[in-house]
Amino acid sequence: MARAAEMARLRVRRPPRSAPPAVLLLLPSGLFLAAFFLVPYGNMVRMSFLAKAEGAAFANAVTLENYLRILQDAFYWRVIGRTFWLAGLSTVLTLLLGYPVAYAIARAPGPRRPLLLMLLLAPLLVGAVVRSYGWMILLGRVGLINQTLRILGVGEVELMYNTFGVVIGLVHVYLPFMVLALASALEQIPAEVELAARSLGAAPWRTFWRVTWPLSLPGVFSGSMLVFVLALSAYVIPILLGGNNVLVMPILIVQMLLDAFNWPVGSAMAMVLFGLACVVLLVYVKTANRVLRWIER
Amino acid sequence: MSTTVRRLGFLGVTVAIYGFLLAPIVIVVVAAFNAGEYLRFPPEGISLRWFAKFFASEPFVRSFWFSLKLAWLCTVVSTVLGGTAAFYVVRHAGRLRDVLRLLLVAPLQLPAILTGIALLLFFYSVGLGTRGMGGLLIGHTVVSVPYVFLIVSTVLLRFDRSLEEAARSLGASAWATFWRVTLPLIRGGVISGALFAFITSFDQFPISLLLVSVGNTTLPIQLFDYLRFSFDPTAAAASTVSVVMSVMVVWLIHRLVGLEQVTWGGPR
Repeated sequence: MARAAEMARLRVRRPPRSAPPAVLLLLPSGLFLAAFFLVPYGNMVRMSFLAKAEGAAFANAVTLENYLRILQDAFYWRVIGRTFWLAGLSTVLTLLLGYPVAYAIARAPGPRRPLLLMLLLAPLLVGAVVRSYGWMILLGRVGLINQTLRILGVGEVELMYNTFGVVIGLVHVYLPFMVLALASALEQIPAEVELAARSLGAAPWRTFWRVTWPLSLPGVFSGSMLVFVLALSAYVIPILLGGNNVLVMPILIVQMLLDAFNWPVGSAMAMVLFGLACVVLLVYVKTANRVLRWIER
Repeated sequence: MSTTVRRLGFLGVTVAIYGFLLAPIVIVVVAAFNAGEYLRFPPEGISLRWFAKFFASEPFVRSFWFSLKLAWLCTVVSTVLGGTAAFYVVRHAGRLRDVLRLLLVAPLQLPAILTGIALLLFFYSVGLGTRGMGGLLIGHTVVSVPYVFLIVSTVLLRFDRSLEEAARSLGASAWATFWRVTLPLIRGGVISGALFAFITSFDQFPISLLLVSVGNTTLPIQLFDYLRFSFDPTAAAASTVSVVMSVMVVWLIHRLVGLEQVTWGGPR
């Protein structure tokens, strides 16, 4: 009797034969991404191993020349070093500035939280060009900050077209990403855990360092990896806020591709930058996992 | 240190960081409405002259309409691609689920400028080049699909399938069930995904930088070119257009599904 009821239920649930196969749902996006994402990336890797030909963008001869040319040139190493240093510095600064904001969002009472998120997401969606322009108005030679300094009698300070301006811009543009990563980790720590530590007599700072901070580390790691990669590939900010004084790899790569039309060397430069980024991230992930395991014990 | 002092200190720090985050954006909007050549204190009065100059500037107006058209097309294409993909991955994918999810969000994990370079080289390698809107549309769609996919997946995961079963057992066809039951229930998520796709395309920079061609320039690229050589508030008026769009999108998503939904997948 029970078995008959079960059979009847199964019969109702079984899709009729007229339903098209589900794989059709995957076809449009699958084909699209294969053709315009996987194939182009493969093509770029291939391009980085091709020789430059006279009168053509590339020749069909395989070579390591492009990579050797970059790796043997001290100039490129200086630019690579600067790119990584700026990305690392921005990551640390976004972490320092992002943590209090993320904590405020994660612990905000229900009605206030949408407002805090809105004030975070609206800047995130405004493009980097517009945000850099905002900083140009503030930091420029006749900008608001320098006007104020002049009135105060301090005199003019170079705030833009140097490393300082670029770091300000990078931190500003990537801060929301860090906050979102941190907030989603902090969200998962029940407020009761902190309350328990406090009620057992732990001082606020001790509660933070021994309870909140270790539990939020997954967010710290994922947020800093995201910001690091984004900052490594930043192009608009170093150009607009660095003038021609802060040369980073993305600027050189775009010049090589669009101005010099040297595709093989341009793609090899991109591969070198992101290859090195992968190495750094791998070491970071290894260390992060070790730290997380150590904390769990 | 008393609790009140500590609370106030924390509040002060949070407000200061929000100030840092919002200052340049507010400043751009203020500069657009300011009458003078550049911002100074005290301000020289309110004026719409920079907006007038923006709408009188042929390159700005042309790139603005071009961006709108491109963003609209990108929204339609990526909503269809990302939406169908979300349905497949959430409901039908078996062992391949993790691989598919990885592929569908990969364009977000890789730097957009790298994707732009790869597409530029690809279009020239197959002999298409970068004339017209096609290349830009493809590039923008590649980076917009993941957003639609992620948001629609989130909504689908929480979807109560017994509602569909009820419709089916009452005799509705698969097609009718989808249009009359499923779609109306996940509409908020689909529209939010579409809005994200729209703003991703409208504000897209790195991919556009590599794929624009003469006569086909987007607003962010036009603005960038303008800012390299001049500083005047026409750029502020152009930027304000972009700021208004972003604020509208955030507000709409807040009203449709709630921002918590799109930031970390639902309230806990």
